Amino acid sequence: MGIQFKDVSYAYKGLKVNYDAIGHINLTIKAKGEFIAIVGQTGSGKSTLVQHMNALLLPTSGNVVVFGQNLPPKKKEKINFLRQKVGLVFQFPEYQLFEETILKDIMFGPKNFKSTEAQAMEMAKRAASIVGIDESMYDQSPFRISGGQMRRVAVAGILAMEPEILVLDEPTRGLDPRGRRDLMKIFNDLHEKNDQTIILISHDMDLVSEYAKRVIVLKEGSIVFDGKKEALFEHPDFETFHLDLPTPLKILKHLEKEVGIPYQPKYDFDSLLDHLKEVSHE
Amino acid sequence: MNNITIGQFIPGNSWLHKLDPRIKLLSLVVLLVGVFMIPISAEVLPLAIMGAIFVGVLILTYSTGIPMRKVLNGLRPIVFLLTFTFFIQLFYVKSGTMLTENPIQMYISVTSILGIILFVIFYNWSKKYIKFRILYFFFAAFMVFFIQAMLPYIPLTSYSLSIYDEGLLRAGFIFVRITNVIILTSLLTFTTMTTDLNYGIESLLKPLKVVKVPVDVIAMMLSLTLRYIPTLLGETEKIMKAQASRGVDFKESKFKDKVVQIISLLIPVFVISFKRAEDLGNAMEVRGYVIGAKRTRVDEYSIKFTDVFTIILSLVFLGLIIYSRVIA
Repeated sequence: MGIQFKDVSYAYKGLKVNYDAIGHINLTIKAKGEFIAIVGQTGSGKSTLVQHMNALLLPTSGNVVVFGQNLPPKKKEKINFLRQKVGLVFQFPEYQLFEETILKDIMFGPKNFKSTEAQAMEMAKRAASIVGIDESMYDQSPFRISGGQMRRVAVAGILAMEPEILVLDEPTRGLDPRGRRDLMKIFNDLHEKNDQTIILISHDMDLVSEYAKRVIVLKEGSIVFDGKKEALFEHPDFETFHLDLPTPLKILKHLEKEVGIPYQPKYDFDSLLDHLKEVSHE
Repeated sequence: MNNITIGQFIPGNSWLHKLDPRIKLLSLVVLLVGVFMIPISAEVLPLAIMGAIFVGVLILTYSTGIPMRKVLNGLRPIVFLLTFTFFIQLFYVKSGTMLTENPIQMYISVTSILGIILFVIFYNWSKKYIKFRILYFFFAAFMVFFIQAMLPYIPLTSYSLSIYDEGLLRAGFIFVRITNVIILTSLLTFTTMTTDLNYGIESLLKPLKVVKVPVDVIAMMLSLTLRYIPTLLGETEKIMKAQASRGVDFKESKFKDKVVQIISLLIPVFVISFKRAEDLGNAMEVRGYVIGAKRTRVDEYSIKFTDVFTIILSLVFLGLIIYSRVIA
């Protein structure tokens, strides 16, 4: 189960020529327990790739299998249910808010999937508490709260559908460092507590190195790397991926060169700090 | 989403693309006046002129290198109107010689109604396989009458129809005239960028400044509106995808759900367009935009030989038509 890409290509239709966005993608994503980061330069096809995962885009050639449903579907096969199984959070999701109150907006998703009013309310409240929207805010207008809170409400709108796989397209873009950390913590908790598969598109290598377990690197529409993050940063062709090193690794490399502290990879700031304390004690 | 005809500029390098937008607009107006000045009649001369113009328009299209299919697609929205006027003319003009010896007897009968229903079903099924849909629709409308004449069995009521040659000619005349007008105008939008078009309108309206019409404000509003159509379309598509991810099914759902779905699309787009407008206003102010102040532009337009030639040719065309009317 989960998501399988079999030799998938997608081309956007132009006036005279078609523009290939992604080509010959082969990929398997498990339904449980994965934390995947998709990285690559702007225009490398990341967003196009993830939009195949809940059938917003259908492959121009090849097959995608999402929870047993083959895509492109046969005639008259309904694919809407996939949107509930694979929750996709777009860039700047706060623009999708439209209801009068925050709670109603979060309920919109579940209600579209034939939940009763009471069930939808239940699911919405659960999602709101996950992202830290307080009960006192339920009846406020979603247009009268701060940008960071709007983002949380929008994310709750997807979480309320209780998707099995959560796909996030640059969820922290445009947030301040604090908001970024808080939001990533919510996703990481979901992953650790519920063993939920999370797929994250990000340009922020610090986030990738801290949270992701598996990294997929896209370059000009093809996968050039797919594997553990530990392997990525040691990859001999890392330069050709046009990616930044995460800050902790940069610091460690610098220290090795200037002070002579032996290099030992650490992927987030907390373990970096612990490591340096240890080294200084010796 | 992508077949909205406003601002459907097709990049190219033909002489019509390079023509000064002011001249292009002015020539179009002159040509349209000319086309409309030819009187509707069934005589040989006006018919010949109209036919010649049609050929001329096709040659003009060919010379710009714009695919003929694109131009003909521009006719699609008015196919119904074209067909309707054609048949009205055909049935109501009662002069000239009759084409058939006796009036044709038309029957509204059980069989003909059944025949029409079957034909409409067949038409809807088969139209996706037909390349020239405009002609096919026309043919279908003709068939509806044909069936009425051919299946008189079990009649309910009947009427007689007489077709005169003049009716046929006049109908054809109007048909060609509307086609000419549409193709000419769409050639303008196909070969002119919206910015150029806007400049053309602005400078042609300039004389109105004397009577205190805020021409530059109107021009700015027009250009901003045109500029933001693709942007807002893009935003709409994004919102559509975002709401689709929340389970909105824009294709397969009941009418009751559709209302909520449209609201879920409209409100975000509304909010975004206000936000965009505000940002744009600030950006313009920051760069020192003052309403009515004198501004210079990056591209200066200059009248070249082809421009003069084109406008003279258009005027000669108009003059000839006026002359032929005066004589007649």
